Amino acid sequence: MLDFSRNHFELFALPMLFGIDAEQLDQAYRNIQTEIHPDKFAHAGEAEQRLSMQWSTRVNEAYQTLRKPFERARYLLQLHGIDAMDAKNTVMPADFLMRQMEWREALLEAREGRDIKALQGLEKDLQAHARQLQDQLASLLDAQRDYIEAGNVLRKVRFMDKLLDEIDATYEAIE
Amino acid sequence: MALLQISEPGLSTAPHQHRLAVGIDLGTTNSLVATVRNGVSVVLNDAAGHGLLPSVVRYHKDGVTSVGFTAQSQAALDPHNTITSVKRFMGRGVKDIPDLSTLPYQFIDAPGMVQLKTVAGVKSPVEVSAEILKVLKARAEASLGGELVGAVITVPAYFDDAQRQATKDAAKVAGLNVLRLLNEPTAAAIAYGLDNASEGIYAVYDLGGGTFDISILKLTKGVFEVLATNGDSALGGDDFDRRVYCWMLEQAGLHTLSDHDKTLLMARARAAKETLSDHAQAQVTAVLGSGEVIDLNLSEQAFNEMTDSLVRKTLAPTRKALRDAGLQAGDVKGVVMVGGSTRIPRIQAAVGEFFGQTPLTNLDPDKVVALGAAIQANVLAGNKAGDDWLLLDVVPLSLGLETMGGLTEKIIPRNATIPTARAQEFTTFKDGQTAMSIHVVQGERELVADCRSLARFELRGIPPMVAGAARIRVTFQVDADGLLSVTAREMGTGIESHIAVKPSYGLTDDEVAGMLRDSYAHAQDDMTARNLAEARVDGQRLVEAAEAALTENGALLLAAEELLAIEKRIADLKLALREGDLSSVKRATEALNKGTVEFAARRMDQSVKKALTGHKLDELEF
Amino acid sequence: MTVTTGVTLSERAATHIKNFLAKRGSGVGLKLGVRTSGCSGMAYKLEFADAADPEDIQFESHGVTVFIDPKSLSYLEGTELDFVREGLNEGFKFNNPNVKSECGCGESFNV
Repeated sequence: MLDFSRNHFELFALPMLFGIDAEQLDQAYRNIQTEIHPDKFAHAGEAEQRLSMQWSTRVNEAYQTLRKPFERARYLLQLHGIDAMDAKNTVMPADFLMRQMEWREALLEAREGRDIKALQGLEKDLQAHARQLQDQLASLLDAQRDYIEAGNVLRKVRFMDKLLDEIDATYEAIE
Repeated sequence: MALLQISEPGLSTAPHQHRLAVGIDLGTTNSLVATVRNGVSVVLNDAAGHGLLPSVVRYHKDGVTSVGFTAQSQAALDPHNTITSVKRFMGRGVKDIPDLSTLPYQFIDAPGMVQLKTVAGVKSPVEVSAEILKVLKARAEASLGGELVGAVITVPAYFDDAQRQATKDAAKVAGLNVLRLLNEPTAAAIAYGLDNASEGIYAVYDLGGGTFDISILKLTKGVFEVLATNGDSALGGDDFDRRVYCWMLEQAGLHTLSDHDKTLLMARARAAKETLSDHAQAQVTAVLGSGEVIDLNLSEQAFNEMTDSLVRKTLAPTRKALRDAGLQAGDVKGVVMVGGSTRIPRIQAAVGEFFGQTPLTNLDPDKVVALGAAIQANVLAGNKAGDDWLLLDVVPLSLGLETMGGLTEKIIPRNATIPTARAQEFTTFKDGQTAMSIHVVQGERELVADCRSLARFELRGIPPMVAGAARIRVTFQVDADGLLSVTAREMGTGIESHIAVKPSYGLTDDEVAGMLRDSYAHAQDDMTARNLAEARVDGQRLVEAAEAALTENGALLLAAEELLAIEKRIADLKLALREGDLSSVKRATEALNKGTVEFAARRMDQSVKKALTGHKLDELEF
Repeated sequence: MTVTTGVTLSERAATHIKNFLAKRGSGVGLKLGVRTSGCSGMAYKLEFADAADPEDIQFESHGVTVFIDPKSLSYLEGTELDFVREGLNEGFKFNNPNVKSECGCGESFNV
């Protein structure tokens, strides 16, 4: 009965693109939650309380997916029938893997030397690179519609995200 | 006789329609109850004019229970039966309480949650908390001149599922209808945000008697969105007292102390700490049971030194919360201080230094949580407030499952906005495996042993297949109270196993019912009357909700015969409410509930459409 | 009907109203009225006023402006609004000379 047939983009009345307007997404999210959040139904009947929880859950999931570039791209590819994170797709270009190794070494050094400055420098570097990859993704997904190549770039993004997570963990370990 | 309160323009309710709702801050040290009256959130005082109720419960031999100031003043006389800071035991096992040996209570290691042996029998922390809630409920009903429709109860944001569930159970045992469990920092933000009508990023630093929370919130156009929360559910003012207490023992060369002396010196330690909030020195004097006199001088500087590590212990979670929110200290527009312990000057200085700004202390840090909870209770009860706003809160700690090798697999990450659901598929690892045990845990650590175990259950009846062929989908759902339920389903056969994550640590529904019965000691009649009264309240609420829904968009969304069918069920329920017994009220309520499912679904769709149309209009204005 | 005394506030009531208005941060005074409903026929209306309705009759009492629509006034003529405490309970009470019977709860009445 709950209309789950709409995809996340349709739910928020957004175009099915990687390059969405973040402000517009935020606003649509807030507007829908304001209408359907369980707090609005705390004094309503059982059926409405349950439905509101299901709807609110669904809207949160959709929002979290579209908000994060990686998840949004992955979801877009899924809508185009491509599972970019399929375990079979593990081949990475050698030069990218080399850079990964260099970054990891730098991270290890910063951790061992408890060197916050070096860590911050590395973080900036990685963020810049991640932004480049995102620009590439946007062009591949929205302009060129080359979903196979977009999948390859997305796997690189995943690598970068993991590295950035490790940097976060390292900050915590050092502090 | 009900006295009248001033309403917002156009929002006067018909007589008897105003729903009495309260916010309750069930604190480690003190508890409060507040409500919205004449458009203003106010703390309700007792007959002596006290707003704070010390969270102290004393059990007497004759079955009498005293709560609050009387119990507190007698703590040293009867330390074994006077329970203070019970919140620290909620949803906690013996091994979770680090200073167990220094406490004067006789703990019983019950599965999941400790119990306390008292002169009035074995008590669960849930029952002890319920005694505090009962006093607040009675106070509220006397102050408001009627029965409460419900309460918002606050919990530390960093409370895990076991602690939240225990709190909700305590409210049930006290006979309260819980409208929502609300995180304390979020409640404080409501109280502040509505007063200051501010937009931007805010940090709420909440150091209570036994718990520490830090929440980072974004306020935008009436939406309070929690971006991240962190904390320590075993760190608070009590720990500062204990440092002072240990210093006293050291200075006075004391070793073994009677429970009376321990309780006395802990009270003196707390008094000294409080004195230092506005004095540079505190004199500590006490006469021990042996007649020995303690007379010590504690300087602010010495106090700051002995508690420095505690202050620093609050800054690590603060950093983590900021990092999780993807923000820097400089992005924070205001820092709200909550909890009595934030009166300690050193804490205000440390927090100010961390965020590079003077923290906000214009609302009483002891009362701000209850005041915010009352505002939310008023809205949830359906008393329309002048302002409309929305709270979006998060799960404080990741929820996951045990996988091979005692490792945790996270299903719902910390700081996911609630309500939320996440499903994950697992498979069998042996040929012909027909059962699978599922162990639900909460925490950030990789090893299951380092996380909190919430529940274990078994999915049976999996058809025998080769290893790896079965597909078992485990779904975690966290509701708006932050409470988890787990469902597991074998996708091939559809065999399903559902649990509200409860049994392994807490109380079963039967146990809660049992405590409720006990609190109505000898009266089966009371219980029956109470059940009927509750069913009537539920039924009445449903009638009101259904009628309001029909008025709003019944004509638009329902065909004539559908409308008639619902109206018929409303009429049936009204009749049952007037004349029926328990079973007919329940039956008619159930019938109306079922009969409105489809209508509810259409209304919800309508709401979503409305939200998006509204959004498009906004765009046009640009 | 003759318009005579209008409606007054006790000093205590006025003090509380001023206090509530200040906490609320906006509003020009207090709006009083009656509506048909409730268990004894009529019910009081007690609301903050954000703007003066041109139809309303205004009274000034202990520094608080009170707005009443002309229809309601006939039922409220001579009423004093008081603020009372009864045990832990506190709130406003209408001392209305026109009332013949009142429901036990005090929220509705008959004239």
